[in-house]
Amino acid sequence: MQQTDESLIDAYCRGDRDAFVELMRRYGDSVLGYLMRMSGSREQAEDLFQETFKRVYEKAHTFRGARFRNWLFTIATRVAIDSLRGRKRFKLISLDQRADCGGDIDDRREAVAVMDTSYNPSSEAIKAEQAEQVRRAVAKLPEKQRATLVLAYYEQLSYSEVANVMGCSVGTVKTQMFRALRTLAKSLPDISEGLQ
Amino acid sequence: MNGHLTERDLIEYQFELASDARQKEIAEHLQDCSICREHLERLKKKFSSLELLRQDVKVSENLVRQVAEQAGKAAQPRFITFRKATWFSSVAAVFIIGLLLMTIYLGETKQGGGEVIETFTRQPAEEKLHAKHEDMAGRLAVKKASEPARMGARGLLGTAGERAAGIVAGDEIMEKPPFAPASAIELVTLPRRENVQLTIYNSADMTLVRERRDLTLKKGWNWLQFMWANTLIDPTSLNLTPLDQADKIDVKQLVFPARLQEVGRWLIRSEINGRVPFEITYFTSGLSWRAFYMGTLARDEKTMRLEGYVRVDNGSGEDYEDAQTRLIVGKVHILDEIAELARRRYPYGRPSLQLGIHEEFDSKGRRVEQIDRLFWGRAAGIGGRLNELRRKEIIKEGLSEYFLYTIEGTETIPDKWGKRLLSFEADDIPVKSLYKYDQQRWGDDVIRYVAFANDEEHKLGQTPIPNGTVKIYSRADEQGYLSYVGGTSIKYIPVDEEIELNLGPARLAKVEPILIDFTTDNYVFDKDGNITGWDETRTWRIEVTNTKTLPIEVEITRGFETAYWKLQFSDTNVSYEKHDATHARFKLIVSARSKCSFEYTVTTYHGVREEVLAK
Repeated sequence: MQQTDESLIDAYCRGDRDAFVELMRRYGDSVLGYLMRMSGSREQAEDLFQETFKRVYEKAHTFRGARFRNWLFTIATRVAIDSLRGRKRFKLISLDQRADCGGDIDDRREAVAVMDTSYNPSSEAIKAEQAEQVRRAVAKLPEKQRATLVLAYYEQLSYSEVANVMGCSVGTVKTQMFRALRTLAKSLPDISEGLQ
Repeated sequence: MNGHLTERDLIEYQFELASDARQKEIAEHLQDCSICREHLERLKKKFSSLELLRQDVKVSENLVRQVAEQAGKAAQPRFITFRKATWFSSVAAVFIIGLLLMTIYLGETKQGGGEVIETFTRQPAEEKLHAKHEDMAGRLAVKKASEPARMGARGLLGTAGERAAGIVAGDEIMEKPPFAPASAIELVTLPRRENVQLTIYNSADMTLVRERRDLTLKKGWNWLQFMWANTLIDPTSLNLTPLDQADKIDVKQLVFPARLQEVGRWLIRSEINGRVPFEITYFTSGLSWRAFYMGTLARDEKTMRLEGYVRVDNGSGEDYEDAQTRLIVGKVHILDEIAELARRRYPYGRPSLQLGIHEEFDSKGRRVEQIDRLFWGRAAGIGGRLNELRRKEIIKEGLSEYFLYTIEGTETIPDKWGKRLLSFEADDIPVKSLYKYDQQRWGDDVIRYVAFANDEEHKLGQTPIPNGTVKIYSRADEQGYLSYVGGTSIKYIPVDEEIELNLGPARLAKVEPILIDFTTDNYVFDKDGNITGWDETRTWRIEVTNTKTLPIEVEITRGFETAYWKLQFSDTNVSYEKHDATHARFKLIVSARSKCSFEYTVTTYHGVREEVLAK
């Protein structure tokens, strides 16, 4: 029988390192995906991932009863927002802008190319361009709106769970979500044929 | 519900942001209103693009292992905090140490408190932000500062910004540089390029990029990150040079953090705070250029307008905005393929202690590879031996072999884009149209040529003309409509050299050689009666037809397949010359819409009869 998250964190606090690894395996993909959407690059996301789980093991003993997943995303959100604010203040501009924005899309395109025998380079190029537009549109959202959107839409957390993670009311989450969507409605690309 | 649903209603409905009652109300309206349903569908389609960012992300086993190792280390002392006795002891110990530090601090501020305050106030707020992140640089600085014999307790009181920058006390900069930061948070601000210059060596798929950026440095140690992921930049060629205050700024080393691929971080020691212009140079692959030309013949075909263009294609993975573009004509020899270098995980191959590359471990146990200075950089660097071993060489075959074209002004060339740039234009270049016939080379076709020279007389001659393709058009009528005449590729044309452009078969000119007479004579026999020599005499009539509305000059080359020949020719309207040992060449002008002909008789000598001609 699978151990609950809470029993795993408890086991880690008692010195069971494997319990921590199990938690990381359980939520690693999801957290990394979340951080990638927040930061826009895998490299940055991996740094944030390390920082998130570092905080998890540093603060494991403070975890009390709530859902571990929400608690984990709360930490990841704080790490991401702190980092993004720091980055904004420092205006770190990569000499290689594409490393920050396009790498993941390129990876995705390559994956498609391998799996899909009907791979069409021109349509894939269009799709990559559209994905880039989407990424830019999402990246332009204020951090809290972006976090709300990513948690609710991509991580499929309920609005009350997002509120829990963000430390605010459900009403605030819905307002943030609406504002994010209203902005995106203007900036997202038109996809005439829709997505397969 | 009155009227139609607003976009707000539809967004709230689609994403279940409205209250239950409102959701129900909207749903009912949608059932009855096709316009709103359409509007909703459009909105759904719009938001469906969000799916493009949905992807399966997998955490690598390496990353899990690294974090797990850290967690393992961290877990051990943490148990202690839950034991009451130990916890109280810790609190007591911290309290005592705090008291001691306070005593020392108060003692020091009495003597030099103003200095300390000044240090605090001088730190920009953003540096204080760094304190939140327990970067390795900060930790090292604190550790060093806490050594009482050298630093005293005051080192601990410096701001986190100072610690990150390696400033330990007052204005002193730590001698030992900090390790590379684990994340990008502590890196120096990297503003946009002030300007960029591209020098494209086409023959070697190599481009030298020189860019100027004003970097904001803080006093102490600064990290500057350079990433080349998804580009074709050769990391071994990276160079960073301060353009100002060079005596106060020292670019110490370039570090390639082990886990971070395609990232290099420069360590810069600065004795000043503020903006400093830097030049970053590197080689990249993926940029190429090709020349092409468009010639427009005047109606009389005696002059031509020539426009030279350069198309620069950027497949380097990097956007270049407002770049000054220079093109090198000529071949360079390089030892490495830059594209291959760019794709290497480790820019210098696998790190090895033998090569002077140190492996060190940062606070998280991650390996940090450090190279003593830039290989290609200042020759006096500590890594001189490495310089000798690995410096990329560009062997030049002589400057006279090259020619540098500078495109006027600046151009923005985004990645994956090509751009056509005008390189020169010249009006009314005198040209010579020539129609050539050589059956041995081109069969029955008459080939059209346009000839001119790359010299001042032809309004050119300022620079050599690089290889490229040429398309020639002619003005078909007075309205200026163009008709395509033909195209060809040209080789590099040095200054003062002539060029003939082969425009392909001419449709309006025809040359027809007709054999009128053929005789053999002067047979020579040996003692056995075998033929050992003879003469052949042929009479040819060459008929030339010009259906153009302009007179044309025709050059006819005839080959005889032997060097022993004699030609009889008496037509004064046609010039004749011996072109080479086996060919004769005739030139004539044929009037517009006319036909003309000439005859010649050629005798060829065979066998021992060849000696007749030799005498």
